[in-house]
Amino acid sequence: MKKLFFALAVFTFPFLVQAQEKQIDSTAIFILDKMSDVIGDLASVSFTLNSSVDKLNADSNIEKHYKHSEVTMVGPDKFVSRTQGDQGNHAFWYNGEFMTYYSFDENNYVTLEAPDNIITMIDSMYTRFDFRFPAADFFYPSFTDDIMEAFDNIQYNGQKTVDGESCFYIIATNPDTNVQIWVSNTMNMLPKRMVIIQKNKENLQYEAHFTKWELNPEVPNSIFEFTPPPGAKLISILEK
Amino acid sequence: MNTYLPKLKTYAGLLVLFLALVLPLKSIKAQRLGHGVSRGGGHTMSRGGGHTMSRPSSRPKATRTMPTRSTPSRSINGGHTKNKSRNFSKPTTKTPSRTANKKVSTNRNNSKVTNRKGSNNAPKLNTRNKKTSNIKTKNNNRVGNKTHIGNNNVNINVNNSRHNNIRNTRVRSSSVRYTRPPYRYGGHRYYCHRPYYYHPYRPFYWGPVWHPWGYFVTSLATTAIIVSIVNDDDDEDEYHYDNGTYYLKTEDGFVAVQAPVGAEVPSIPKEAEEVTVNETTNNYYYGGAFYEKNAEGYVVVPATAGTIVPGLPEGGEEVKVGEVTYVQFGDTYYQPIQVDGKNMYEIVEVKAE
Repeated sequence: MKKLFFALAVFTFPFLVQAQEKQIDSTAIFILDKMSDVIGDLASVSFTLNSSVDKLNADSNIEKHYKHSEVTMVGPDKFVSRTQGDQGNHAFWYNGEFMTYYSFDENNYVTLEAPDNIITMIDSMYTRFDFRFPAADFFYPSFTDDIMEAFDNIQYNGQKTVDGESCFYIIATNPDTNVQIWVSNTMNMLPKRMVIIQKNKENLQYEAHFTKWELNPEVPNSIFEFTPPPGAKLISILEK
Repeated sequence: MNTYLPKLKTYAGLLVLFLALVLPLKSIKAQRLGHGVSRGGGHTMSRGGGHTMSRPSSRPKATRTMPTRSTPSRSINGGHTKNKSRNFSKPTTKTPSRTANKKVSTNRNNSKVTNRKGSNNAPKLNTRNKKTSNIKTKNNNRVGNKTHIGNNNVNINVNNSRHNNIRNTRVRSSSVRYTRPPYRYGGHRYYCHRPYYYHPYRPFYWGPVWHPWGYFVTSLATTAIIVSIVNDDDDEDEYHYDNGTYYLKTEDGFVAVQAPVGAEVPSIPKEAEEVTVNETTNNYYYGGAFYEKNAEGYVVVPATAGTIVPGLPEGGEEVKVGEVTYVQFGDTYYQPIQVDGKNMYEIVEVKAE
């Protein structure tokens, strides 16, 4: 029995040591908290997101694809976004009861009953159908906690200039992923740019760049209602 | 023997404990980052859950107070929540220490996404009677629209279960190696030889003698023949075949159905097209059915993955599978493609990951 305990201790020790090596920078957390506080206080918001994502093509070469998204949310249960890019043009409408995904290229759409708040809807639609909403990560209510949980090393790396704007630069890493976040050094401390590098997958990158933030804009409810364009077809959807 | 049993249990228990300590728990990925805490998947330091952040254990616990900020009731995300402790022993940057311990950890009960106010675990009533999409699962259970009350117009598709037998829509694997990487979705890989090229599904019309699935007639022509097929339950199903269309007898007449795999008929309509299965095999395609020629005539065979067909009959259903839209007939998925400028379909090979 003693031998068994000894063997377990020997095997477990390196993992415990590894776990204890987590390095969390308090300044980085302070900045992320402040950013999340501002986002959590918003009753409505709109912004523009330009993003790029790397994908492996049939020849296993990396291809970069670009997207431009316009997003508007009104709390707690209204969301609309439109995305145009070289991999397709689509939009989401969410009115608190139904979520519709419409493909402009295929002129077809999926309408699903949805939960009654934005975050639960986004999470549910991703989990069940793999729908990805533009920059949704930043709107999770426990964003900072999520980062702290998922990454071993979170560091504040000083201020950098993005588009002529001074930003706080934060890097979070774990063995699989490197995430870099630029937060505007302004009163509002909103996200400016994010880069995700998949270290375990050919260093594929996702980059998102925020512009045109509008805080608490007045938005008419009608923009969250989907009206099928002429000839648009309601199609079925396969759950994951 | 009796003395070994308790020892064995002890060893097994220790092994489980060891594995629990050593094997990392993969957080579920949401959107592009994992959101273990938001989604209720992670433990939190504020609950004393033994988190592994670096900090001296001797440090006194910070007083937990409720935040003084108030979140607007109509916040876009219900307000920022902080469950993990923000007590840092020393900042690792040049930032003054007064900022480091300023934050206090809060412990809101509504921090988890799934537990938030108004979370939607219970199905809602579709009071507006809006048409919604059918939700399909990989085992073909339709779960869509089951929660509707007064469900009189929500099902967009005709129920083809009678005419669209799963047994007759199973796909044979392609013998040709795929050079394109598969499309991955929901734990399955979808293989095709040609790239996805969307075009709307419009059922193909094979001429006046062909009847789509579900077509009803009170009587058949004298040229109709009877074809008996042994089904999965070892019972014999009796089909009536006439000019490329198969019928099942009902109380009032006959209804057109999908061609049963294994049916052998002496002839098929001249409109049947020859389709390439692989370098050595060709099938004949008519009315959504694939035939192999033999000495006696033609035998209905299962579809073979990779086969390209020019048109699809009625009874299919356009289904969004991740980022692509396939046409589904039972277990068969057809990918829209383009060949020499013409819209066609390729049969998809689906494999579990």
